[in-house]
Amino acid sequence: MRDIAILLEHVSKSYRLSHQPYSSLKGILLSMFRYRRRIEVHQALSDVSLSIQHGETVGLIGVNGSGKSTLLAIVARVIRPSTGTVQVNGRVAPLLQLGVGFHPDLTGLENVYFNGIILGLTRQQITERLPSIVRFAELEEFIDTPVRAYSSGMVLRLGFAIAVHTDPEIILMDEVLAVGDEAFQHKCLRKIQEFQREGRTILIVSHDMNQVRQVATRTIWLHQGRIMADGATDEVVSRYLAFAEEMEKQAL
Amino acid sequence: MLDELRELYRYRELLWTLVLRELRVRYKNSYLGFFWSLIVPLVTVAVLTIVFKRVMGMVIPNYSAYVLAAFLPWMYFQTALLDSSQSVLAQIQLVKKVYFPREILPLAAVLANLIHFALALVVFFVYLLGYVNAPLLPSVILLPVLVFFQTLLIAGLSLIISCLNVFYEDTKYIVSIGLQLMFYLVPVIYFSEQVYHAQIASPEWQRWIYLVYHLNPVAMLMTAYRKILLPPITVQQVGAVQKQTFASLPMDWGLLAVACAVSVLIFILGYAFFNRRKWDFAEQP
Repeated sequence: MRDIAILLEHVSKSYRLSHQPYSSLKGILLSMFRYRRRIEVHQALSDVSLSIQHGETVGLIGVNGSGKSTLLAIVARVIRPSTGTVQVNGRVAPLLQLGVGFHPDLTGLENVYFNGIILGLTRQQITERLPSIVRFAELEEFIDTPVRAYSSGMVLRLGFAIAVHTDPEIILMDEVLAVGDEAFQHKCLRKIQEFQREGRTILIVSHDMNQVRQVATRTIWLHQGRIMADGATDEVVSRYLAFAEEMEKQAL
Repeated sequence: MLDELRELYRYRELLWTLVLRELRVRYKNSYLGFFWSLIVPLVTVAVLTIVFKRVMGMVIPNYSAYVLAAFLPWMYFQTALLDSSQSVLAQIQLVKKVYFPREILPLAAVLANLIHFALALVVFFVYLLGYVNAPLLPSVILLPVLVFFQTLLIAGLSLIISCLNVFYEDTKYIVSIGLQLMFYLVPVIYFSEQVYHAQIASPEWQRWIYLVYHLNPVAMLMTAYRKILLPPITVQQVGAVQKQTFASLPMDWGLLAVACAVSVLIFILGYAFFNRRKWDFAEQP
């Protein structure tokens, strides 16, 4: 059991979708006068079981709305499954999307402390790692500037630098590498490879099949909330691509 | 609930960091900075004093001190509720990605306002001892007790409001209207003695009106702040028709105990309510 980083058993997640675009008091009052309330249950995940060992890099692929992000949110303990059990052994660090958790009026340095603490570091640990974080983000000259003056690339680098310095055992990446320039993507890939050598667990959601092929040792293909395939990356990716091509033909 | 509190304790550093961030961000781009949170109550009280003394005919020595003694806690109540109503929704992107006890968000808003309130109280004492030249009453030692129960009350309400505001954004408007109305239902610009002698009541009803009025814990706390901070005072109102005099009433300790009990109850209920809904926040589209 000690080797298992993430264990999901028969996990299902359903959302109640209301058809009103805004939930408001007016919406509630109006809906009381309708014949029946139109609430649809959307099954984001149904009966998903999987186990991921420490040190594995797992790609999560699938079309939009297939449940990848929900699965990641469940592992991050942000969403609780409707049924089934989840077990996560080890410290989880989600890589945040561009600018999430940053306050534009505060300096880069102040934001590093806030972000680091929210990801589970102590103030002292951040102070120790600060030089390394700033160096990785390549922001030596701008660390005392308010973040609102940063370019999106700078915000991205800083966010990534903090996350990789939280010393996580399990890293969750949701399409985070899609932004950022070539040089930065290379840097991230090198960091991911370093994490792999150190035996950390990585769960990566991506639509970029080349990237998945490059980093993931194992890939899980989700479709409509179910696992369609789970196995070696090359095999799963080619099955998925064949499926996607088939879908495209049908659409034409 | 004990488990939730223990988890909250584990994340105390995050709570404190958020409090500091709120304090730092609020006046970051203004020249006068923190002084704004002193200027606002002082200017308000100056205007209230002029209007009520000169126009409404209140004859009270040091009226401004009595207004300030109730207005500062009222400001704390009002700004803390308004700040916290938005607190979860403003950070919803973070809530959707990172695990942390969600109650940290409204509680940080409350604590940041508590610090502002504490600093404003320092200014109040400077004003009291320097300008008004009033003696300090021994009952001042009860001040931390009042602040504690008021903070519990505010925290409980903030948890409910910030949670509801995630699902129904009408909440913040309702809260802001409710606060505007409530300002007239708590003794800030007038005195609780005047409630006792309200015109609507025949003498045998006086006691009941006074009691029902003070079942609102906010009203009772405002009355209590005045009575522990400042000496009892006889209120004279020179009306168009007649001159009225209201003798000071003693502190009703029973009613204060009820207000404190209600504050604790609201905190427990608010926290329980928040805990029931807090894992639904991330599922909001």
